[in-house]
Amino acid sequence: MFPLVDPFELLGLRRRPLLSEEEIGSAYRKMAGNLHPDQEGGDEGRFKELGEAAAILRDPARRLRFLSGVRPGSIPPPEAADLFPRVASLTHEADDLLARHATASNPLAKAVLAAPLRKLSADLDLLLMTIGQWQSRLNEHLGILDAGWPDHDPEVVADLADSLSYATRWESQLRERKLALECL
Amino acid sequence: MIAGIDLGTTNSLIGVYESGFPTLLADPDGNRLTPSVVHYADDGTILVGREARRMEALHPGSTVSSVKRYMGRRFGDEGIEGIEGQKGKPVTLPINGQDLTPEEVSSEILKRLKTIAEERVATPVTRAVITVPAYFNDAQRAATKRAGEMAGFTVERILAEPTAAALAFGLDKLKDRSTVAVYDLGGGTFDLSILRLDEGVFEVLSTQGDTQLGGDDLDEAIAGLIATKAALGEEGDLPPESRIRLREAAREAKELLSTEESLTVRLPFLERSEGSTSLEILLDRKEIEAVCEPIVRRTRSHCLRSLEDAGVKTGDLDQVILVGGSTRMPLVQRVVREVFGKEPDLSLHPDEAVAIGAVLQGAILEGTLRNVALLDVTPLSLGIETFGGLMNVIIPRNTTIPTKAGEMFTNAVAGQSGMTITVLQGEREMAADNWRLGSFKIPFPPAAKGAARVGVQFSLDADGILQVLARDTAAGTEKIVEIKSAVEVSDEAVEAMLAGSLEHAFEDLDARIFTEARLKAEEMLPAVESALGQLAGELPQEEIVQIQKKSSEVTSALQAGETARLKQALTALDQATQTLATKLIEKAMG
Repeated sequence: MFPLVDPFELLGLRRRPLLSEEEIGSAYRKMAGNLHPDQEGGDEGRFKELGEAAAILRDPARRLRFLSGVRPGSIPPPEAADLFPRVASLTHEADDLLARHATASNPLAKAVLAAPLRKLSADLDLLLMTIGQWQSRLNEHLGILDAGWPDHDPEVVADLADSLSYATRWESQLRERKLALECL
Repeated sequence: MIAGIDLGTTNSLIGVYESGFPTLLADPDGNRLTPSVVHYADDGTILVGREARRMEALHPGSTVSSVKRYMGRRFGDEGIEGIEGQKGKPVTLPINGQDLTPEEVSSEILKRLKTIAEERVATPVTRAVITVPAYFNDAQRAATKRAGEMAGFTVERILAEPTAAALAFGLDKLKDRSTVAVYDLGGGTFDLSILRLDEGVFEVLSTQGDTQLGGDDLDEAIAGLIATKAALGEEGDLPPESRIRLREAAREAKELLSTEESLTVRLPFLERSEGSTSLEILLDRKEIEAVCEPIVRRTRSHCLRSLEDAGVKTGDLDQVILVGGSTRMPLVQRVVREVFGKEPDLSLHPDEAVAIGAVLQGAILEGTLRNVALLDVTPLSLGIETFGGLMNVIIPRNTTIPTKAGEMFTNAVAGQSGMTITVLQGEREMAADNWRLGSFKIPFPPAAKGAARVGVQFSLDADGILQVLARDTAAGTEKIVEIKSAVEVSDEAVEAMLAGSLEHAFEDLDARIFTEARLKAEEMLPAVESALGQLAGELPQEEIVQIQKKSSEVTSALQAGETARLKQALTALDQATQTLATKLIEKAMG
């Protein structure tokens, strides 16, 4: 669902594929401080719009899709298709081990999980590194696209947006499990 | 004039903004802290604060303390213990033959604060900002707001406690740019918030917490320690009056041992189920720290999650600010130092900072305090239940409020007249594991399959309270949907649960003990086998044989279905495998 307002225009930012968190954050904070309903001249409706706009711009996939009008594709890009089984099986394994650890009620039952949990932690690190490398490559593409903007091939942009979206989601899913392990 | 109120688990405060300064107001005796205790006398008189606390040991049945723990909660929820009620129904407290809601009890505390303020400022005080733990959910926030209204206030804002503390901390540092963590361990709740302070804008980046973790839990642990040392037996076996005296002694010991190394606990003529005893035991700081440490350690995971959510590393933090009475404990400060790797900032008054922040927020709302803005977040994700029983997030946690977000729905069959949507709050993937805020029905205009379009919009106001709008895009109409509280709609579910528990009640006690032992055996046997496999070649043959013997005894007792024998065999297996667990962990850590 696209918003009625143009998020770039609302935040006063250039319409480009590449925007840093600092640029978005600083523009957002400046406006949010004034538009917050607690402030004199504040406006709840516009504050909410600002929040939605910033959320779109902070997500590189949604930002790209808004800029170029491409929609999420139904066939994942090849790199995502290659990575998917690894991400799925590792998150599944992690959830399973974490659940077993949580329900284990005596020290021995917890202790037998120590070695598998340690291996899981290493596997998570490895996959997170792979995804990190993929993300750097995607960011390079984003940079190239940005340099030639507004010229672009919609198919390439659609693939890039999809890839960015998968990478962000998987990274956060894996980090979530990694954090759960650290919190044990 | 907008008053600022910290409605705490243990103590409450009120203050106002006077001639450019936040001022906390004292009662006629000069006390700024009002104990959050309410006593209902037989003659109908209601006492609040110190007077009520004095009544607690004499009349535990008609005195309520720590009522904040019950706000917006239901019977059967985690942490709701010691009071009986139908599972799933909102908690009520039986006092002198009446069932009081936690809101009613809280409103008595708020009324008392209102009187304190009105006597001091000599004008009616009708508008207020009330603080709540950042991790309070929608129901808990709404209950607090209702309590304020019952006390005669217009509640101008429900404000998160750590955010309030950050405001009190940062007000004289407005020009600075910094990132701070606020570690707030109060009487009953824990919050950890990370904020960015930049040119008068206080932006909360993330918040995490536990609304059932605080100083009360530490008191309980210390009371248990005293009971064990004095050989009083189980704390729960004592008469209620004695339990309260023991709890008071524990709280006092906790406070004194923050500065002293040891002390003597004296409880003369403590009533027991049979006769009375006079108790005198020596307690030192190390002992209480040993029982409190596991509780304080529970805050660690929240700190790590909050940092992760904020995308901030401990090295990026300029300050870790401590607030809440429990942070006076040296143990708590040590844990904070360990988790964040830096010296915590103790410059704020642990009991007063939140109230000061509430007063400042009141001044912002009035327009007296300018060029300061608070951007707070919703602590918990909001979403709806999907067909597969999963949670579909609509507003993710740590989204700045106020905010709105929506989803489109269509009709699955032609002529369908509506669909029911269940609203959830929480972070778990399975819908059933999250808090159910309630349900509502979206009406569909009669149309061909997939032709109707209804948008549902979630809107969170600046108090973090949810409103749901349904918009018929075809007709262009919009209306506020009323969410039926989960209590009303889940009657069937409540009955199902009840039927389940009744069945349990008829179960043979021996069968239940056997089931427990069987579950333990089913957990132990594969664990032992896996442990022996992992440690193959590293254990003396003799030990392996011993363990295998004990294992097979468990197996045969299980097959024979003999309860006593199974329990005995399990204990023996437990003893025989005690060193295995340590060895396994040592091995895994290399």
